Amino acid sequence: MRRLGPAAGGDHGDGNGGEYGNAYGDDYGDDYGGDYGGDDGGDDGAREVGEPILASGADEAWSRVRQSVAWHGHAVVYADWRDWLPRVLEDADLRPMLGSRDWQRLRGLPDPESRSRFAVSRLLMRCTAGAALQAPPGSIDLAYKPGGRPYLRGCDQIDVSLSHTGELIVVGLNRRGRIGVDTEVASRRIRYASVERQLCTPDERALLGGLPEAERERELLRVWTLKEAYTKALGQGMRMGFNQFGFSRGGESLLTPDGRPASRGEWSFATFEVLGTYLLSVACHDVGLEGAGDLAVGTMLDAAFVHEIVGLLGEK
Amino acid sequence: MSMRTEAMAGAGATAIAAARPSTGAGARARTLEERLGPPDDPGNPLGFAAVLAAEERGELVAAAEQLLHDEGFGAEMVPAADGGRLERADGLARVIRPVFRRDLGLGTGYGVTSLFAATPVWTAGTAGQRAALADILCGGGRASVVHHSMAHGNALWSGEVSALTTSRGFRLGGRKEVVINAARARALVVYARTDPAPGSRSHSVLLIDREAATPGRLRTLPRQPTTGLRGCAFGGLEFADCPAPAGSLVGEAGGAVPLALRTFQFHRPLCAVMVVAAAGTVLRTAVRAVARDGGGRTGERHRPLLAGVFADLLACDSLATTVLRALHLHPESADLAAAEAKYLVPDLLREDLEELATVVGRPGRAGHAGDGGEVDREMLAKLMRDLPTASLGHAGTAACQAAVIPRLPLLARTSWLRADDPGDALFRPGLALPPLALDALAVAGRSDFFAAALAATAGRLRADGVEHGYGRTLGALVTALLGELAALRERCVAVAPGDLGVLSSPEMCALADRHALLSAAAAALGVWESHRGEPGFLGDPAWLVMALLRIGRRLCLPDLPALPDGCVDRVLAEVADRYRGRRSYDLYDEPVQWADAP
Repeated sequence: MRRLGPAAGGDHGDGNGGEYGNAYGDDYGDDYGGDYGGDDGGDDGAREVGEPILASGADEAWSRVRQSVAWHGHAVVYADWRDWLPRVLEDADLRPMLGSRDWQRLRGLPDPESRSRFAVSRLLMRCTAGAALQAPPGSIDLAYKPGGRPYLRGCDQIDVSLSHTGELIVVGLNRRGRIGVDTEVASRRIRYASVERQLCTPDERALLGGLPEAERERELLRVWTLKEAYTKALGQGMRMGFNQFGFSRGGESLLTPDGRPASRGEWSFATFEVLGTYLLSVACHDVGLEGAGDLAVGTMLDAAFVHEIVGLLGEK
Repeated sequence: MSMRTEAMAGAGATAIAAARPSTGAGARARTLEERLGPPDDPGNPLGFAAVLAAEERGELVAAAEQLLHDEGFGAEMVPAADGGRLERADGLARVIRPVFRRDLGLGTGYGVTSLFAATPVWTAGTAGQRAALADILCGGGRASVVHHSMAHGNALWSGEVSALTTSRGFRLGGRKEVVINAARARALVVYARTDPAPGSRSHSVLLIDREAATPGRLRTLPRQPTTGLRGCAFGGLEFADCPAPAGSLVGEAGGAVPLALRTFQFHRPLCAVMVVAAAGTVLRTAVRAVARDGGGRTGERHRPLLAGVFADLLACDSLATTVLRALHLHPESADLAAAEAKYLVPDLLREDLEELATVVGRPGRAGHAGDGGEVDREMLAKLMRDLPTASLGHAGTAACQAAVIPRLPLLARTSWLRADDPGDALFRPGLALPPLALDALAVAGRSDFFAAALAATAGRLRADGVEHGYGRTLGALVTALLGELAALRERCVAVAPGDLGVLSSPEMCALADRHALLSAAAAALGVWESHRGEPGFLGDPAWLVMALLRIGRRLCLPDLPALPDGCVDRVLAEVADRYRGRRSYDLYDEPVQWADAP
């Protein structure tokens, strides 16, 4: 897993080039090796997106989820769904765990592979959310808004997002605001000339147009996944015109079509390469209501209020 | 020394606003709307451009604050019995709409937060406390509330003040970092911890007159920048062993939590109305954007969106307005629905706003540069920033859930699908109401008037056909909703009332969410039914089936019917009519100021 692009300022060493890292020349390094840089992700004051966490089914991932949510406000978890087999499909609890709606969807899927992938994606979502909410994964009502966005019914302390490509499944969750995650096979190539007007702002076209072809197509893919992640965070998917907002060169801040800042640090963005072959982009919102960080469902109902109401109900 | 004497000393000029002859709330709302002028007019010093410019400076529009002062807006927050203009809860909700149509910050920062501070005094204060506070608010002064910390509190709710009882009164200590208008509120209503023991008698409400506080003992801490409501001045307050007279106590010692539960039920539907008013303006800008785009392919794609948002607005306003009327009609049992209105409406309309963002402020076609698209886009971005702060985010949700969830097991056993029809008066905004008696508001009532209305209307619908094409759809929707209520009952009956472990579970949070959606459906159904056969759009089944279908989808109900042919067109025609006729996107269908030539 590695972080792509100039996520930590412009004064890093020359690095080793990397497949994507040096798309913008030497002034931006590719020091995306690991720990969080000193700068918190851009000059607009945005927070840095936390490192994605690999969940191969082991419990240790869930404590890292809690840490990440406590520390960053969000967690991004990814898995190779094959690592969760065959245990998942053989689990007698799968049906109650998925709930009736997702169980029906699972049964309607045509082949074992898509059933497996679907089951793992929902379990990954439930386990991740359960870790943050400190609640059993099966007790959470994973529901879908009319536009398709998943959410945890009744538990608005966390926003969630889901994406999958090939073997990769990604779940994002955020306690500070909306989140969107999107994935794509890193080697996928899209012909720039055929999509530039639909996918890119004039500002981005000016930038991408000046790159060598191979780099241009790689950058296009990253920009695309970032746009998918952002519009998923907004709950809109493709309904949002992709040429109506753009990204800065490092992909870490939001711009208007003509290249001016379009957010005041409420949004954080990052792209990672995971499982060696996938791009994973994250868009994370912060509404600015920093809380004490308690997300547990068990402590959600104010004790004094409940005490009063239960007392009154008992009297009557 | 007492707040009253202090206030009375300078009272000469202050009662002017309140002394004006009081006309009805609807007329006062119209006056405000007219004086605030067309918000989309770039030349309007109180319009969107001015709001954005002021926000950039971290301020509210000063001229708008002055206008509200001149109009005696503060007196709207004061009961008529105390010299103000507050007679009806739904009337106050009408008066605040023109303000919230323009700026969530102005409405919050200038007006309603003073009400939220004052309601404990109107509910349980002594005559002296009431008179003193009435004087401050009618004179254009402000009140701020210093809340105790609550479960899952964010910065707006964390930290609290404690008070020791002494022979002469109280001594307050502690600080709260984020209080709206901390630096300029004359009256402070403090939810102070007076007993370290857990339970619901831990806090007391104290009314503090900042000008009477011992110098140096009540400190104003620096202003805190916020992401939302950036024009409002949030700051900290610190009480450093600050003495307060015994007469500061509002209501009983240890009575803050019950008082909060009683008064919040007035605040909550008002919060819902604020969001309805603000979202109505966004719908208006979206209609303009689509119209300017030529109504071509874009327009085609956005027709269901515009119609759907309007249906949602009517359903949300039905819920909020009905709850406000219930404060008069069912003060013993309005708190459940009040919490649900606050829980549901900001979240539901926020989704709609996110979807409208795909339309609002799209760069116009060539030749439309400077058509206001940029201003509209920035106003919407501002609203999206303001909303979580104004509705308190998850902390607000958790507080509402605490009022709803403990009730469900008992209501399932005693009320749902059994209780009598609450009657028509609840659902007719125009109808007269008994006086608002805040001290009659109770907590943990044992009836659920929305569930009762849903069942009663369903019974009548079966017996009584609806217009061709709509009857079958409506019947199917109502059957699905009733089925959902029965399913909820089954789940909630299985929970032992008072089993705190089970009440605090994701399952119960989800059931409460579903119940809130059913309440909104019942409110919409009730409003429609009580206007059937009358002129006006509220009696048209088109908006109702659209609203119920959207609620059904949010409930993820299986086998929902399709919309009748032409339904979207019918709702959309009303949206367009109200745009051209400059009329509000809410239950009242009243004139709004709008510059854009239709």
